[in-house]
Amino acid sequence: MRRVGPFLLEPRLAAPRYVVFGVSIFAVVIALLAAVPVFVGYGLNPWQAYAAIGRGVFGSWPSFSEVIRRAIPLILCGVGLTLAFRAQFWNIGAEGQILAGAVAASGVALFLPVPDGLRLPLMFLTGFGAGAIWGLIPVLLRVKFGVNDVISTLMLNYVMSYIVEWLVHGPWKGPTMRGFAYTDAFPLSARLSYLPNTRVHWLTLALGVALAVFVAFLLARTRTGYEIRVVGQNPDAARYAGINFAAVLSLVMLISGGLAGLAGVGEVAGIHWRLRSPSHISMNYGYTAIIVAWLARGSPIAAIFTALLFGLIFAAGDYMKTTLSLPFQITGVFNGLVLFFLISFDILMLWRVRLARKEKIWAGQTGS
Amino acid sequence: MKRILAVVVTVVALGALAFSAEKIKAGFIYVGPIGDYGWTHAHDLARRIVDEKYDWLETVYVESVPEGEVETYIDQLVRQGCNVIFTTSFGFMDGTLAAAQRYPNVIFAHASGFKRNPNMATYMADFYQVYYLNGLMAGALTKTGKIGYVGAFPIPEVKRHLNAFTIGVREVNPNAEVHVRWIYEWFNPAAAKEATEALIAEGCDVFAFTEDSPTVVQVAAEKGLPSFGHYSPMYDFAPDYVVSGQIVHWEKIYEDFLLKVHNGVYTTKNLAHVDYWWLLSQGAVEVGAKPGMVINPKYEAALKNFVLNHPVFGRISVYDLVFTRLNQMADPGITFDPFQGPIYDRKGRLVVPEGMWMSYDSLITLEWAVVGVVGPWPGEP
Repeated sequence: MRRVGPFLLEPRLAAPRYVVFGVSIFAVVIALLAAVPVFVGYGLNPWQAYAAIGRGVFGSWPSFSEVIRRAIPLILCGVGLTLAFRAQFWNIGAEGQILAGAVAASGVALFLPVPDGLRLPLMFLTGFGAGAIWGLIPVLLRVKFGVNDVISTLMLNYVMSYIVEWLVHGPWKGPTMRGFAYTDAFPLSARLSYLPNTRVHWLTLALGVALAVFVAFLLARTRTGYEIRVVGQNPDAARYAGINFAAVLSLVMLISGGLAGLAGVGEVAGIHWRLRSPSHISMNYGYTAIIVAWLARGSPIAAIFTALLFGLIFAAGDYMKTTLSLPFQITGVFNGLVLFFLISFDILMLWRVRLARKEKIWAGQTGS
Repeated sequence: MKRILAVVVTVVALGALAFSAEKIKAGFIYVGPIGDYGWTHAHDLARRIVDEKYDWLETVYVESVPEGEVETYIDQLVRQGCNVIFTTSFGFMDGTLAAAQRYPNVIFAHASGFKRNPNMATYMADFYQVYYLNGLMAGALTKTGKIGYVGAFPIPEVKRHLNAFTIGVREVNPNAEVHVRWIYEWFNPAAAKEATEALIAEGCDVFAFTEDSPTVVQVAAEKGLPSFGHYSPMYDFAPDYVVSGQIVHWEKIYEDFLLKVHNGVYTTKNLAHVDYWWLLSQGAVEVGAKPGMVINPKYEAALKNFVLNHPVFGRISVYDLVFTRLNQMADPGITFDPFQGPIYDRKGRLVVPEGMWMSYDSLITLEWAVVGVVGPWPGEP
């Protein structure tokens, strides 16, 4: 037990669901409140601004569909990250794994002579594979050489980013692009179709939701899932029970990297129809997905909803930029505030906070 | 009666049409932040200039738009009532074209691209002549015979500028070399600093560059070395060391374009062949350390004292040569172009035959490096 001013903190063994949910919502609300000075600083009435954003984002199906579209890569990456985080493997590399998937899909789209009907399925398959390989390298490094996974996954993002840069400036530079660093546009057979009046590439969305359910099932209902959880919660117990660490981590990162790879396929086949400068493809989705997974508290199903929340923040940010003429950093400010308060309020989940006067504790302690 | 009604309806309809054409709401979509002090900054400055000048014009902008997101932003600007939309990055090309087809009643203009539509024009203000003039000065100012160039990306636009610069350098100093470093980024002060320092270590003592910050100017000035500003007037960052530079005036293009829309010359039906390729003679670009200062007075004496034996003009100082060439290119009946044959690339191939000028198409797809360029050249034919 710990005392902070008039408050008494008692450690919790496990936070009940309603506490987790309540604290998370609380953190998001506080983040929105903390952003109020930003609006005031730009001479806007914050409540009117929030109202305008609400109308702008929810006002019509085409505008609301943007929330879903921006959530697609976040769902795929976020679900993968919840899995990795459950095994306590800190995958900060979704950004690079997205790009790996994008590269593989672009290769298939542009250069592989396959029948039209097979092209998209093959793009998704190779994209998954490329993301998985990019995710497995840090596992190998950790298991064989004890390299810290935070560092290796993060650094591999830069490696993949430069690979993309090299491809678009070098061997894959499109002959029709007049020397600019872009590949040629994908053939029609390599482009995903949209829901009507939107840019929602529904196939990637469906994949994301289906795989979220699959990962949730894997974690909760299978022996493998049990092993993953044990590895994450108590590595010593896992070792003692004879769980094969390398195998469990490999499987986790195969799925986690693969899902991020699929997100990359969705982006190039659904939005860009070509490979281009890496930052315009991965768009920090891989880093935002870390917050998505964190907010989902390790639940793949919850990650669908937290991804939608960040889709909303992105769409609202776009709206704020155009309509309220706020600077482009506004989206980053919101993302940062949400993560900040989320992590700060973790204490409310690990500890139960009670208001207690000093005398009372005294009495309690002498009594024991 | 029916007839009169028809006439009245027509008149009212035409009136409404004329009224709607009178007010223009122009949206600008930028790829970078407006504070970059380069490409986007210059477009935004131009936007503000035309916005303030005309009552019938209202402008809005969006900055730092990722290339894949351009359509989303166009949708929002159209929903807000924009009837003219400018997109200012090559990567916006396909998205702008798709939007132009989706919104046939909105006028679009796309900077630096090559795809057009009845309601979509293209425009570009290019610096190659200005780089050539800067090259003349750089050739006279180098003592080591090595000039440093920090390049953003090895793409035709930057290669064209680097070549024009080198042609200028070698016109006054036939043995000088231009050493190039690529940073693979349009805006990256840290990389630009590193590249400049590496070039200084190689012995370069005069600098030009393509990057959207004044970093190269500042790093060179710290070592007491002269440089040429890029895109925005950079004189104030190092008044003793900025010799001259390239300054853009996008407002010339925006003003011309919007006036023609306002006057009904440009409509949503007739832009398929409208392509601005504006240079010195249209005033879209300017040579100078800051507007109105072609050459920093601190360097006038050095350039006047550097006299060469020119194949065309005989004995002439570099100072006079710069102004002679400037007049030849700024005059509407342009009588000189930097890419005037014979030009050999550094592999010894004749790329522009004797007496020929380069066509617009060959200029914008240029990939080779002229003699005198030293350093990596990705995509060299």
